[in-house]
Amino acid sequence: MGNKQTIFTAQQLDAYQISCHSILKLYIFLTFPRLFYRYRDLAPQLVPLDYTNHPDVKLPYELIGSMPELKDNPFRQRIAEVFSEDGEGNMTLDDFLDMFSVLSEMAPRDLKAYYAFKIYDFNNDDFICKSDLEKTLNKLTRNELTEDEVRMVCEKVIDEADLDNDGRLSLEDFQHMIVRAPDFLSTFHIRI
Amino acid sequence: QVQQMQVPVVSSTESWNFGGGVQSYFLFLRFLVVLNFVSFLLIAAFVIIPSIVFRSVGSNLANSTPEDCMEYNPNPQGLEVFYNYFLDLLSGTGFMEYSYLFYGYYNNTMVEDRNFSYNIPLAYLFTAVFYFAFCLICIIAMGTAARVAVATGGSAVGNYSMIVFTGWDFGCLGDRATRLKQKNIHYRLQVDLEEESRNKRAAALTLCQKIVLYSLRIFMGFVAFGLIIGAFYGIFEATNFSQGILGLIIEYLPSIVITAGNFMVPLLCDQIALVERYSPSTTIIVALLAVFLRLVSLGVILFTLWSQITCEGNTSSGDCELCCWETRVGQEMYKLTLFDFLINIAVLVLVEFPRMLVDNWSNKLAQWLGRQEFVVPSNVLGLVYGQTVVWTGALFCPLLPLINTIKFFILFYSKKITLFNNCRPALKTFRSTTSTFFFLVVLLFGWGLATVVMVYSLAIHPSMGCGPFRFFPTMWSIVPTSFYNLSKTTQEFLFFIGSQAFSIPLFALSVVMCYFIALASVYGKSVALLRAQLKLQEGCDKKFLVKQIEELSRQLQISKHNAGVQD
Repeated sequence: MGNKQTIFTAQQLDAYQISCHSILKLYIFLTFPRLFYRYRDLAPQLVPLDYTNHPDVKLPYELIGSMPELKDNPFRQRIAEVFSEDGEGNMTLDDFLDMFSVLSEMAPRDLKAYYAFKIYDFNNDDFICKSDLEKTLNKLTRNELTEDEVRMVCEKVIDEADLDNDGRLSLEDFQHMIVRAPDFLSTFHIRI
Repeated sequence: QVQQMQVPVVSSTESWNFGGGVQSYFLFLRFLVVLNFVSFLLIAAFVIIPSIVFRSVGSNLANSTPEDCMEYNPNPQGLEVFYNYFLDLLSGTGFMEYSYLFYGYYNNTMVEDRNFSYNIPLAYLFTAVFYFAFCLICIIAMGTAARVAVATGGSAVGNYSMIVFTGWDFGCLGDRATRLKQKNIHYRLQVDLEEESRNKRAAALTLCQKIVLYSLRIFMGFVAFGLIIGAFYGIFEATNFSQGILGLIIEYLPSIVITAGNFMVPLLCDQIALVERYSPSTTIIVALLAVFLRLVSLGVILFTLWSQITCEGNTSSGDCELCCWETRVGQEMYKLTLFDFLINIAVLVLVEFPRMLVDNWSNKLAQWLGRQEFVVPSNVLGLVYGQTVVWTGALFCPLLPLINTIKFFILFYSKKITLFNNCRPALKTFRSTTSTFFFLVVLLFGWGLATVVMVYSLAIHPSMGCGPFRFFPTMWSIVPTSFYNLSKTTQEFLFFIGSQAFSIPLFALSVVMCYFIALASVYGKSVALLRAQLKLQEGCDKKFLVKQIEELSRQLQISKHNAGVQD
C-alpha cells in the first residue's frame, strides 16, 4: 500500500471540497490517503492510481453497500443515493469523500442536519412527508411495528416538529428540532 | 476490525447495549465500593490501629464494683477440630469472636503520655458518629450531582421526533448490534405509545369498570399485605428459634428466611402487577415496596435481637445468657453480610453459568427457557440491603466495612462477567438520568434505619464484661466525662457552640445555604445550556432574517423594474 504512487494534480486536490466548509477541507486533506485507499480497495481493477487524466470511475452501489461500516446500516441505500451524483448510489471518488467527511466528527451541525434531512426524505421532494416517515420507521424497527402504531408515531412526530402546519416537515422544521437534540452529533457519525 | 463489547469497563458500551439503567447500577456499585473503602480507612486509622498499638500499653479508665457477667472469655477451650474452625469462620464465633472483628475485643484503654493522650472509647464513639455523618454527606453530594443531571437532561418535549431522527446510531456495526438497536428503538416507541393509550383508556372508563378495578386493587393489596405479615412472622420465629441451638443451618435461619422472603415477595408483586397491567413507572413503586420489605425484615431481626438483649425486662435474672450483646449483634450482621454474598455467588455459578452453557449449546432449550435479562431494580435492592446491614453492624463490628468492600468489589466484576456473557439486554429501558437519583434516595432510607439503631445503642446500657464502654452507664456518657477533663476556656467555648441560641440558627442557616447552593448549581447549568441553545437559535434566526431581507429586496427590485418598464 505504501509504495504505490498516486498521481493527482494540485487542481484536482483543490477540487475535493464540499461547499465552503474549510473544516472539511482540512479533514479531507488529513485523511485523504486513507480514504482513497479504502475507495480503491473496493475495486482495485476499476480504480486507477493515476488520476491526472480525470478518469470517470464510478463504483456501483453493490460495492459501496458491502463496506463493513455500511453493510448493516438500514439506511445505507439512502446514504449512497444522497451522496452520489446520479442519485442511484453509484459513487465517484468525489462522492465517496463527501460522504465520509460529512459523516465524520469534524462536520458542523448544520451540514449534518442538511444531509440527514436529505437521507430521511425518501421521495426527494424536499419535504419529509408521512410516507417518508413511515419508511424511516420501518427501517428503524425492522418492520416490527404494527400499522396502527406506525400511523400513531407518524402523527405524533409531525405534531411535535411541524412548525408551519403544512402536515409535513421542511428543512427548517427539521433543523429547528435538531437544535434541541443533544446527541445528534454523536449518533450521526461513522468512523472510518 | 472494530469489536463491540470488548473491554469490561464502565463505559458507554453498557448503556448503548443494555440500556441506561445498567450503567447507573454499575456506577452506584462503584460509588459504594469507594465509600466502604474510605470508611474502612477512617475506622482503621482512628480505632483499629490505636487499639493494636496500645493493647499492651495503657490503663483501664474506671473500675466499679463487680457485677454479673464480668467474666467474658469466648475462647474455645481444648482442642478444636478443623470442621469447627470452618463453622466459626462462617458464624463469627469461636476464634473469630474474640478478635478485632467484634466490639468485645476492644478495651477501654486510655493512653496518657507526656504530651500525647489517646482515649480509645472516645475515639471509637466519635469515629462511629463521624462515619455515619460522612456517609450521609457522600450520599447527598452524589444525589445533588445526579439531580443536576435530571434537571438539565433532555426534556420530554419532542420525545417521538427525537427517537425517530436521532435514535439511530450510524456508527453501529455488526448484524447483532444492529438488531439489538432496532429492538431497543421498537420497544421505546411501544412503551411510549402504550402509556399514552393506557392513559386514554383510564380516562374513558365507566363508573362500573372503575369500581371493579379499584376493588381488585384493594384485594391484591390485602393479599400482598398478608404475605408480608406471614414472612415477618416466619423471620421472627426463626430468629427466636436459632438461639441456643447448635448447627450451622439453625444459626443461619434468619438469613435464610429473609433471603427467601426477598426472592418470593418481589416475584409475587410482579405477578400481581401483571394481573393489573401496571405501566413501567408503576413498577418502580412496586420496587419501592420491595425495598420497604427488605428493610423492615431487617428491622424485624433487630427487634427480636433487642427483645433477647433486654430479656423482656428482666436484666438481672439468671436466664439472661448474653454477656456481650454487642458482639452478638455484630455477629448477626456479619452472618447476614456473609450469607448475602455467598447466595449471590451461588446464584451466579449455579444458575446463570449453566444457563450460559445451555444458551451456547442448545438453541431449542434456550428458546424455551428464554434468555436472561439483567434486571436492574432487584440488583439495586440487593446492594441497598447489603449496605444497610453494614451500617447497622459497623458500630459492633468495626471490620465490617472492609469485608463489605471486598464483597462489593468481587460482586462488581462477577456481575460484569455475567452481564457480558449471559444476559441479553433488558428490553425495558430505564431512564438512566433518573435512575442514579432514585437509587440514592432508597439508600438514604437504609441509612435512616441504621442511624435509628445506632442512636438507640448509644443510649442503652453497654455490657459489663467486654468492649471499650465497659464501665459506663451508656455509651454516650463518655463524652461528658471527657469533656470535663478539658480546660475551662475550652469548656465554655464548647458550651457556647452547643447552646441552643447558637447551634439551632447555625444548623438552620447551613441547611438553607446547602439548599440554595444546590439550586444555584442546577440553575447555573440550565442557564449555560439555554444560553448555548439561544446562540444557535440566534444564528438560525439571523440566517432566516437575512434570507427574508434578500427575498424582500429582490421582490422590491422586481417591482421597481416592472414599474420602470411600465413607465
